[in-house]
Amino acid sequence: MNEDLLDIICCPLDKSELELDVRDRDDGEIVSGTLTCTECGEAYPIEDGIPNLLPPDMREETTA
Amino acid sequence: MTNDESAVRRLVRDRYADAASEGCCGGTETSCCGGDDGTSDTASDAAEIAREIGYDDEAIETVDGEANLGLGCGNPTAIADLEPGETVLDLGSGGGFDCFLAAREVGPEGRVIGVDMTPEMIEKARANARANDAGNVSFRLGEIEHLPVADGVVDTIISNCVVNLSPAKDRVFEEAYRVLRPGGRLAITDPVRTDSLPESVREDPGSLAGCISGAESPERIASLLEAAGFIDIRVELDPDSREVIDEWHDEYDLGGSLLSARIEAEKPVE
Repeated sequence: MNEDLLDIICCPLDKSELELDVRDRDDGEIVSGTLTCTECGEAYPIEDGIPNLLPPDMREETTA
Repeated sequence: MTNDESAVRRLVRDRYADAASEGCCGGTETSCCGGDDGTSDTASDAAEIAREIGYDDEAIETVDGEANLGLGCGNPTAIADLEPGETVLDLGSGGGFDCFLAAREVGPEGRVIGVDMTPEMIEKARANARANDAGNVSFRLGEIEHLPVADGVVDTIISNCVVNLSPAKDRVFEEAYRVLRPGGRLAITDPVRTDSLPESVREDPGSLAGCISGAESPERIASLLEAAGFIDIRVELDPDSREVIDEWHDEYDLGGSLLSARIEAEKPVE
């Protein structure tokens, strides 16, 4: 994902802002990292450039 | 979320995960693009379906990769009147076809965000974004009932044959309203129910994932949009969709019970 998208994405649960922690970057694109909700603390992974912003109950099923 | 809703979501996601890996029609008996005998050329089938539901040849031919999966029921980008510089959100973006078409309309100053709850679809869409060199399009995994999008940042919401799949359409429209800017618009295509469905079709769990049994009446769609706060609501049936919808089921011609509709609404300025 692109960093300038950060201003329009939010936590799917409480719609609060997300804090970005970059693990791997490629040519300006964030390939892996974590988005953490500044309100509820829920952490959303970025994998292969895709932010996984599914609510936690759906996310667990996805990775299972 | 109730257990029923979870079960519905799981069913829909599994079905579209299969469609992402198998291409058009997913080899299922009932689907958004009809039965598939498993021997046909899926890419040309998808192109043919796209033509029938309102895309022109230029749109079909100029989007690279396997973005067009033949899973739609209309052409939301044609009704959305997108302007350069706009921020567009696609609910249930699938392979990304409508996102890439929208990206051309909004240009480099605009941006298009696709949200889909199926990881396999998002992966496919990302690969297609690379094939289409679409720098202003991005995809994320998310639920349309819990949009990971900030308040009031979207100019236009598009969606093609997705909202009917949701077990909580009231929440979908509430979320759509929340993320639109005042004066922003919703312009989607989705099947609506125009008559009752045969009982065996209604009770078949595959009918939900196939965009059949989840379809609401035009009046119900309008009242859900109104309850969410939208104004200038229009639900316009597309009689030309009958032929395509007739192909959605092996046993029944469903065009007498379902039609594709253009659903438009606006978030009031004040």
